[in-house]
Amino acid sequence: MQDIRTRYPGYDILKEQKEWDPHTREIVLKRLGPFPKPKFLQENEVQMLKIIANHLVFDNRSQIMDWIIHHIDQSLTSNIGEGQRAPKAPPAKDLIRWGLQAIDKVATIKYKAVFLGLDEKQQFGILAALQNGKAEDVPEWAKVPQKELFKKLAAEIVSAYYSHPTVWSEIGYGGPAYPRGYVRVERWLTDPWEAKRDAKQ
Amino acid sequence: MQNNNDYVTHNCDHFDGHRYSHLNNRKYEDEADICIVGTGAAGGVLAYELSKAGFKVVAIEAGPFWNPQTDFASDELVAQSLAWQDTRLSTGENPLTFGHNNSGRGVGGGTVHFTGVFLRFHESDFKTKTLDGVGEDWPITYQDLEPYYNKIERDIAVSGPKHFPWGNFHGPYPYPERVPISANAQVFREGCEKLGIPSVVAPLAIISAPFDGRPPCINRGFCNQGCMPNSKFSTLVHHIPKAIDNGAEVLSDCMVTRINVDKQGKASGVTFVHDNKEYRQNAKLVILAAFAVETPRLLLHSACPQFPDGLANSSGLVGKYMMPHTGHDMYAKFDQEVRLYKGTPVLATSQEFYETDKSRGFARGYTLHAHGSRPVEMAQGLAKSAGIWGKDLYEIMRDYNYYGRITQVGEVLPDINNNLSLGQEIDEYGMPKPVVSFSYGENDRKLIDHGVKKANEILQAAGGKPAFTVPDTAHLLGGARMGKDPTQFVVNEFCRSHDISNLYICDASVFVTSGGGNPTETIMAIAARTAEHIVEQANTQQY
Ligand SMILES: Cc1cc2nc3c(=O)[nH]c(=O)nc-3n(C[C@H](O)[C@H](O)[C@H](O)COP(=O)(O)OP(=O)(O)OC[C@H]3O[C@@H](n4cnc5c(N)ncnc54)[C@H](O)[C@@H]3O)c2cc1C
Ligand code: SF4
Repeated sequence: MQDIRTRYPGYDILKEQKEWDPHTREIVLKRLGPFPKPKFLQENEVQMLKIIANHLVFDNRSQIMDWIIHHIDQSLTSNIGEGQRAPKAPPAKDLIRWGLQAIDKVATIKYKAVFLGLDEKQQFGILAALQNGKAEDVPEWAKVPQKELFKKLAAEIVSAYYSHPTVWSEIGYGGPAYPRGYVRVERWLTDPWEAKRDAKQ
Repeated sequence: MQNNNDYVTHNCDHFDGHRYSHLNNRKYEDEADICIVGTGAAGGVLAYELSKAGFKVVAIEAGPFWNPQTDFASDELVAQSLAWQDTRLSTGENPLTFGHNNSGRGVGGGTVHFTGVFLRFHESDFKTKTLDGVGEDWPITYQDLEPYYNKIERDIAVSGPKHFPWGNFHGPYPYPERVPISANAQVFREGCEKLGIPSVVAPLAIISAPFDGRPPCINRGFCNQGCMPNSKFSTLVHHIPKAIDNGAEVLSDCMVTRINVDKQGKASGVTFVHDNKEYRQNAKLVILAAFAVETPRLLLHSACPQFPDGLANSSGLVGKYMMPHTGHDMYAKFDQEVRLYKGTPVLATSQEFYETDKSRGFARGYTLHAHGSRPVEMAQGLAKSAGIWGKDLYEIMRDYNYYGRITQVGEVLPDINNNLSLGQEIDEYGMPKPVVSFSYGENDRKLIDHGVKKANEILQAAGGKPAFTVPDTAHLLGGARMGKDPTQFVVNEFCRSHDISNLYICDASVFVTSGGGNPTETIMAIAARTAEHIVEQANTQQY
């Protein structure tokens, strides 16, 4: 599967970590775990979010999922604001907690099983409906605007996923670049340490 | 009351070689000549110029006094902390994205994580009503600002092309243009050339050679995460340290919650909160430079019996006519790697579509930038704004390195319905959260369509296959617009409020129209002009 996942099988960004400034290195390495127990999220919520993340980023590697959960838990525990919010949407903590409950309710009404008990296609269907604000009508949606829920989940999950060094390696991203910077920025040029398609493992 | 949520702990009082982690030794505790709220693009210039002129200046900043070496990181996720993250309620047909996309918090304000594109307005921007029958005329002209554009560019050694083909200023810039340019910028320029569209290396507030003790850019590409080598200008690394050398005091991690007014209806200073405790700063003159959201919010929140609708608001227009820029991102896929992560994000630009061309069916215009992107920004934009996720997102991102991108920065016409008001929800400082409503108008939508099409043509001419468009906006302007008539405008042409003679408003909020390019050079030129005016006035008049 490795060749499907990446065009850069020989590239491991973590090999470059000695070139990074200490602050950045510390931040990035922490994403490899181990992670403390979630403070805000409950076990069922963790499981649901992992499945939702699997669908959104098309990946289910547990190490990366654990990091995504840790990231979401941290942002929901923190008192720092969320940048912006629709006036009709509740604060992120409630949006996600109530939103997951609503998703379960939709699953129960539609398929007589909780979200985690559905097959992949059914789960996918609910998420796709959510994105368009078209999920089964349940009273829970009165407090939780569907599209806002989808956007919040997408933003948190996708931004954490594409901040994981394993994913950086796979997409051939150069990653942290201070103090080294780039010497060869022009077309078709790469610095010796950058990801190369034809590099051997 | 407020908790200190900053993940770093810093000193909060800074002057003349003194640094304190408490507020017990304030330099101008009794009274300052001038109190500036906010130390961003405008606040930095004001603090520097006014302290140089010998005034006792106190600049108060809600966020931390950053140390680039230890606080910044080469990482998109962590750099969110440079932004103004306090929740703003966002509504309308096209609700704006705030946070990192919109504004900064901390000494340097938005200049800490801005992209550094440094453009002047064109002459036409100041009279769109006269020329095109849209928007509103400014009370000043390009010629009024020209000396200050020159000054700001010199002061921070803007790098740019020898010849800039559009607008009134044709170069050369104080510092040579950046070489080399990134692959994405090359692709853009090649596409432009094939179509006969002139393009240039972008004028940047990023140095191309050593300047003022700072080294040239190393093409790290993380301008939106804060520049670690200090190659990119910010008021954090340029104006504020110099203002401190000139005798100014900077109070950081101090959130101003109210502008105070005395019995005569004059501004007497401000109230601010540091670590849960309330303080006052008295001053003879108050200048608000807290950006286009917090400035109108403070004015409205400072309502008092003398000014029940908020300060400087006899026109009822505080918080009205807010304008972002259109910021649509057009991506195309190429056969060979472009690697959007490399180099300064914007290294090439074209203003060929800036001026009104009646044949296009809309007024005003836009700038197109070759615009780098990092994985989080790209993937999040796709998932959140373009509705692409799951396998599709994964397949696109697997080929992240093969995409090139152009971003439109387009003029949005002022509309009284695009506004800021105080909401029902109260924040941790006891202030009502701001509600910002935004919807594009018809002209804006036509302008966007045109820009999307042109960008795709350029990408295609360069050999790319247009792949997707991510709707976005950038910047925010207006909410306290300048003009002569006190019934129609909030401040006069020198940013003095019409209603309170010793209250100035000088930041992105005084913009009358948005122009079709990045606004910060104009914000700073206006600030330099306002500073000069205050110095002149002080010689002849008591505030
Ligand atoms: C990602 C990004 C990229 C950008 N790129 C460009 C670019 O390439 N070119 C360009 O021209 N522009 C760019 N901009 C826009 C630019 O950052 C802003 O136009 C500019 O910073 C606005 O200047 P200002 O002085 O109005 O406000 P700011 O620079 O935002 O400064 C306001 C300051 O006031 C402080 N403040 C607010 N409220 C209070 C309060 N109550 N008490 C105390 N302090 C307070 C804030 O913390 C902040 O430090 C970009 C912006 C962003 C977000
Ligand atoms: S690209 Fe240059 S200016 Fe931007 S952050 Fe890197 S070194 Fe600083």
